[in-house]
Amino acid sequence: MITAERKPLSEIKEMIAPYRKILVVGCGSCVAECASGGEKETGLLGSALRMDAKSSKKEIEVKEMTLDRQCVYEFINQLTDVIDQYDVVLSLGCGAGVQAVAGVFPKVHIVPALNTTFIGETKEAGLWVESCRACGDCKLGFFAAVCPVTRCAKGLFNGPCGGSRTDRCEVDPDVPCAWQLIVSRLEEMGRLDLLRKVHPPADWSKQQGKGPRKIHREDQST
Amino acid sequence: MKTDSQLKKVLNRGEFAVTAECGPPKGADPEAVRNKGRILKGYVDSVNVTDNQTGVVRLCSLAACALLKQEGLDPVLQMVTRDRNRIALQSDILGASALGIRNILCLSGDHQSFGNQPHSKGVFDIDSVQLVQAVRQMRDRGHIIGGDKLTEPPRLFIGAVANPFADPFKYRVARLATKVDAGAEFIQTQCIYNLNRFKEWMGLVKEYGLDNQVYILGGITPLKSARMAEYMAAQVAGMDIPVEIINRMKSVPAKEQRQEGIRIAVETIEALKEIEGVHGVHIMAIEWEDAVPQIVEEGKLFPRPEV
Amino acid sequence: MDQKSAGLNITIFFCQQIDPDQDTNRRALEKELGKRIRFFPLPCSGRIDPLHLMGALESGADKVYLVTCPEGACRYQEGNLRARKRIAYTQGLIEEIGLERERLELIITPAGNPVTVDELARGLLAREALIGPSPIRG
Repeated sequence: MITAERKPLSEIKEMIAPYRKILVVGCGSCVAECASGGEKETGLLGSALRMDAKSSKKEIEVKEMTLDRQCVYEFINQLTDVIDQYDVVLSLGCGAGVQAVAGVFPKVHIVPALNTTFIGETKEAGLWVESCRACGDCKLGFFAAVCPVTRCAKGLFNGPCGGSRTDRCEVDPDVPCAWQLIVSRLEEMGRLDLLRKVHPPADWSKQQGKGPRKIHREDQST
Repeated sequence: MKTDSQLKKVLNRGEFAVTAECGPPKGADPEAVRNKGRILKGYVDSVNVTDNQTGVVRLCSLAACALLKQEGLDPVLQMVTRDRNRIALQSDILGASALGIRNILCLSGDHQSFGNQPHSKGVFDIDSVQLVQAVRQMRDRGHIIGGDKLTEPPRLFIGAVANPFADPFKYRVARLATKVDAGAEFIQTQCIYNLNRFKEWMGLVKEYGLDNQVYILGGITPLKSARMAEYMAAQVAGMDIPVEIINRMKSVPAKEQRQEGIRIAVETIEALKEIEGVHGVHIMAIEWEDAVPQIVEEGKLFPRPEV
Repeated sequence: MDQKSAGLNITIFFCQQIDPDQDTNRRALEKELGKRIRFFPLPCSGRIDPLHLMGALESGADKVYLVTCPEGACRYQEGNLRARKRIAYTQGLIEEIGLERERLELIITPAGNPVTVDELARGLLAREALIGPSPIRG
């Protein structure tokens, strides 16, 4: 899932300051799962903005709406009949959601309420950790399903740096050393042989070579 | 400028090699580098120049190596993959060779979050093993990453580092083997204080047959004080300083601790000379380069061989 | 001056396990104070959502209490611990809009000393009014 965190209210307020009628739009997908942009968080933000305006004697109108997905046209389309009544859209979608809405309604000012942070997993209730950098060239098969690009602070492909000690990363002792995990998991699987080859330099063009990436599937298009 | 690496010549002749580390200044003063070079000249075979060590901005390694070369020393260019992508790294490798620098030490580099530019973007386009491989291909096959031919290959003696004290311990030697496979010709290790663990590691190195494929230089850092020992043991990643060493430093009065640190360094050198497969020492006297001549003399490694 | 005399609007979310007869017990007080007091029974204080707390403030409460059963006594194990975290989260949010965090307060009923919800509410009303009417009341 894509994770995000709410921006400080002061930053949000600055962006919407010139406007009176505000449509706060949540997203029911990834950001709902990570409790940053779902229906509940959209309600909280709407409530906070209304109360803030009231206590500072400012007249604003805030309406909340949550789409099932903010990154797919079929769902964004639900805004078509409402959006014109508002001066600004405050989106609680991830960066893709914000841009997708803006792409459909290019004349409306769409501003983000969240900082999109990473692709991650829900480790436990209230804890999300980054596990994928979407490099476009997955090599997890060689690394016991522990991503060195994401989970090693230096993104090393050929073994741990000299700083790991008692299975902790030197950069952050709260983080396990990815390479310690890779080595011990491969050892348990009896597949340490996978570490014998020297991995050549990665092909980062698959991640960022020519600007934004695109997947185009003829069989899926209409 | 067609001279060869002094370090390589010494090692190839079977002599016990001595290298030392020189940290460039946090400013543009060339004299600071030259002065350190003058202190070390004659006492070491080659001098490593660190590359923005611990992520702190300093005069660049390449320029400092060139200055040392002018002073008649044989510099080892340390190159980390943290700050530059493969375009910049390979370009600097060619530049280094053109300036007559004949040794390179390939590292990933301390993470940028430790230094004085913690908000910088860590590049890590390639890792240290891939850098070793790239230099080796450039030198021996005359091509860069991707296959494009060079008009003139760089002439460099290729080194890498190893930390016998980091975890996972058993895998550390396998990692060394990877570096050797990638093309490393000499290895400089993390500072050795725990001789037992180092010997254990060297045993594994021999089991892998690596002692015949690569020159190993043991790392030596003289301790300046008991406080430094305690700090390093607790705070420096990948450092193993046994309690006995710390206690020994504490057992002497503060003003004699520097001498005690030098004595420990000399004893370690003597012990390393006796370990089969150890081909030399690399002395990293951090901001204390003037300790190096004394250590080299007392370690009976002076004068250096003329080769 | 106590909170009752100060004319503060009080909202009380409470764990209904603390008073099995809460429904009857609270009626007299509700009749007496009308809209100035509002009770919201919860099956467990852990079921409180920051949205409820925000909703109460937004509809004009000056002071919102969340009353839990004694620590260690939650029949759902950790409900009252969760309640504490939800209060803390919402306090952070209202501080961002310039409201005092004291407008939200967690009350843990003392162990081994059962109280009815109206006794509890009267006790809260009798407390010194340390904050004035909320700016949200307009």
